[in-house]
Amino acid sequence: MRAGAYPAFALTAFQSRLAYRNQVWASAFGELVISFAFIAIWTAAFAGQVVVDGATLPEMITYVMIAGLLYWNTDRLINDVGEAVRTGDITIFLLKPLSYPASLLATHFGHYVFDQLVVTLPVLLIVGFSVGLLPPASLFHALMALPFWALSWLMLFTLGTLCGLLAFWLLTAFALEWFLKGIMALASGAIVPLWFMPGWLSGILGYLPFAWVSYYPTAIYLGKLDPPAAFLYFGIGLAWLAALGGFLAWLWSRARHRLIVQGG
Amino acid sequence: MLHNIALIPHLVRMYVRTRMEYRGAMFLAWLSQGFSYGAMYATIALIIARFDNLGGWQWPDMALLLAFHLLAYSLGACLSFTQFRDIEEKVRLGTFDAVLVKPVGPWTFLVFSGINIGYGGHVILATGLMAWSLTQVGIAWSPLLVLYFIAALISAAMLTAALMTMIGTTALVWVRSRHLFSIFFGFWELARYPLNIFPAPLQMLMITLAPLAFMAFVPVAVILGKPVPLLGAWAPLASLAAGPLCMLLAVFHWRWCLRNYQGAGG
Amino acid sequence: MAAIISADGVGKTFRQLKRQSGLAGGLRSLFSRTYTEIRAVSGITFAIEPGEAVGYLGPNGAGKSTMIKMMTGILTPSAGALSVLGREPHANRMRNAREIGVVFGQRSQLWWDLPVRDSFALNRHIYDIPAARFADNLAFLTEMLDMGAYLDRPVRQLSLGQRMRAEIALALLHDPKIIFLDEPTIGLDVVAKDAVRKFLARVNRERGTTIILTTHDLVDIEEICPRLIMVDDGKLLFDGELTRLRADLGSRRRLTLEFATDPGPLPLATATLNRDEGAAKHYLLEDEAISLIDVLNEVGRGHGLKDVKLEEPDIEEVIRTFYQNKSRLAGASS
Repeated sequence: MRAGAYPAFALTAFQSRLAYRNQVWASAFGELVISFAFIAIWTAAFAGQVVVDGATLPEMITYVMIAGLLYWNTDRLINDVGEAVRTGDITIFLLKPLSYPASLLATHFGHYVFDQLVVTLPVLLIVGFSVGLLPPASLFHALMALPFWALSWLMLFTLGTLCGLLAFWLLTAFALEWFLKGIMALASGAIVPLWFMPGWLSGILGYLPFAWVSYYPTAIYLGKLDPPAAFLYFGIGLAWLAALGGFLAWLWSRARHRLIVQGG
Repeated sequence: MLHNIALIPHLVRMYVRTRMEYRGAMFLAWLSQGFSYGAMYATIALIIARFDNLGGWQWPDMALLLAFHLLAYSLGACLSFTQFRDIEEKVRLGTFDAVLVKPVGPWTFLVFSGINIGYGGHVILATGLMAWSLTQVGIAWSPLLVLYFIAALISAAMLTAALMTMIGTTALVWVRSRHLFSIFFGFWELARYPLNIFPAPLQMLMITLAPLAFMAFVPVAVILGKPVPLLGAWAPLASLAAGPLCMLLAVFHWRWCLRNYQGAGG
Repeated sequence: MAAIISADGVGKTFRQLKRQSGLAGGLRSLFSRTYTEIRAVSGITFAIEPGEAVGYLGPNGAGKSTMIKMMTGILTPSAGALSVLGREPHANRMRNAREIGVVFGQRSQLWWDLPVRDSFALNRHIYDIPAARFADNLAFLTEMLDMGAYLDRPVRQLSLGQRMRAEIALALLHDPKIIFLDEPTIGLDVVAKDAVRKFLARVNRERGTTIILTTHDLVDIEEICPRLIMVDDGKLLFDGELTRLRADLGSRRRLTLEFATDPGPLPLATATLNRDEGAAKHYLLEDEAISLIDVLNEVGRGHGLKDVKLEEPDIEEVIRTFYQNKSRLAGASS
């Protein structure tokens, strides 16, 4: 199948979400409520202090929104992969003239675009107009945030797919969704930026791949990393993506082998 | 009525046996969910560690609030969440109709033939955290306060069950109800934190239309002797009444929806 | 004797959401919705006596399932009056539920992961069946439906035929006065279908259980139900015996005669030539009284007859013929 055909998967995924209009409104509302909750939490936490660990309250409010935007729900992805592998439906994909990983990426990219465009963007606009969000710290940081954003989604996609594949051996996608959610809550920086954590903890988490999902892109946006550091951490992030991607490819080949030879 | 009650142990036994067929997955689910909630609580602990308190609530207070929230939620949800969230699918597949042709109360059959024992991880974490936090906060215990604590927990569980029942039941009339759960869980998230950190309109909402403030904050604030915004001295009574009142509402709602059920067509 | 089920002008209308297609439609549906009204059932009138076995026949979407749902109390009619066991079904759902059994052809009421026996045991409690009666019924049903081999196997391991037999047993354990079956033979293989049909006919004969059966397989009717109610598009088309239907409509069986070589033109008195393809000739048997033997006798030997194929008209054919005849009769009388 031609590479140009994969975007069709993304478009189909996007379109399929439009059919559930009530879910769209409800999800947007839910996200709005939670966003305001965390803005309230940080406001209460700061309790009048201007700067804590080099961050101001306006910066933290922007952090909530940006990091929250990047903290995409991987349940659908993990469940898709998990179910396809567990039921053996994945062999149907292997029969078609396409690459399963590529079609999976395209499909869930479609879901990602939908979630950001239709659900998160309105929430961002509402919060921006009511509470106020900060623009990127500088032109460099604004431009640098884009590759970090791409890296963030690819990292999340890889982690999610890995979990989904593990469901093949563990016979449950459900438990893996929750494990990932748990790790991400703490380690991705989606809720608490690494600079508020005790040194030993941020030291460890700062080098784990999870931090590239929410923390680093948001930190770049807010200008917390200077250009040399930005490039360095981008490099490390790429290295992690390559390592995880390699592990994923290996795991995928083992799963395929099991399915084809043993029939799942 | 008595017939329905007599059936409960049989239904529960059947369902638990089906779950035990996949006990590996069930225990793994307990572990993963316990871990996930634990990680979230660790994150909140980190915030308080750095900022000392959240709206006047320190970590032991917060821990009790989180534990109470999780325990009340788990107890209420095991009798409602998955059973009523899946009504949508049962209607679509026609399995709900199969429940209606049996001489059993549909609510009884639905709730107990699907009693969710997946909250094991939640309950273990919640009771553990609750036990620890109760040793850390300075409460002047009296028999009345102990009674209140237990009654408030039950009321909070009833509240949870009633709300989730009502949301899922709308699937009988509106066919789709899952999106309403997204809204519920938005407020459920708010219910974990001290109400006083939120702006007044939101506080009002959490006490009236989305009464999830009674799920944890109000009872725990009463126990800890902390001020309750808007309710003030009425807080203890309100927290005890909230559960039964919502339960009554849920009963009427269920009866009404059942009467107006159209089925999935055909 | 009072009718056990009586319907008088019963109708049911549903409101259904109209789905929009395409990306533009999808985006539009985010902001607005339209509904269509569907008349699933209209103006149905009939009376069924206790002990009857009635087939409710019609193509997909004819309103059969809706009628069953109304008779079992799941739905209320939008129009007309319906009485089952002398009571309004929806209002007396719980009371009626004790005296009826329902089998849904495509939805299982058995517990998927547990042995069949356990689902039966639970039913004993649900219907308050006295222990001795339960044991008797279970033994009788196990033997009659040949379930002994798999009573202790989990339902998920059963074939569709085995499962359907267990479903029927489940519905009969509590000695219901009426048993409703919604497409019970759908998807079953020939052997299983036969077993189910013979069993239901026997239950009706020996125990006097009233049977209401929806289907779009005429053979179900032939084997089980002397009386048939035919519906299409929500309306009642016919209420009576199958033989009368066939006789009234003159619905035609299709006969194909295959010869070794083309025997030339072969007109027959017993069958009408429909299509002549040389070595294969297609006839229609218009007369219900004429059998295959009659035709073969007329064809005789000496033509090199190699093979014969006789097809009963399917339900769509019967209904099509019905409509053709209706308009023909209407045209003749006007």
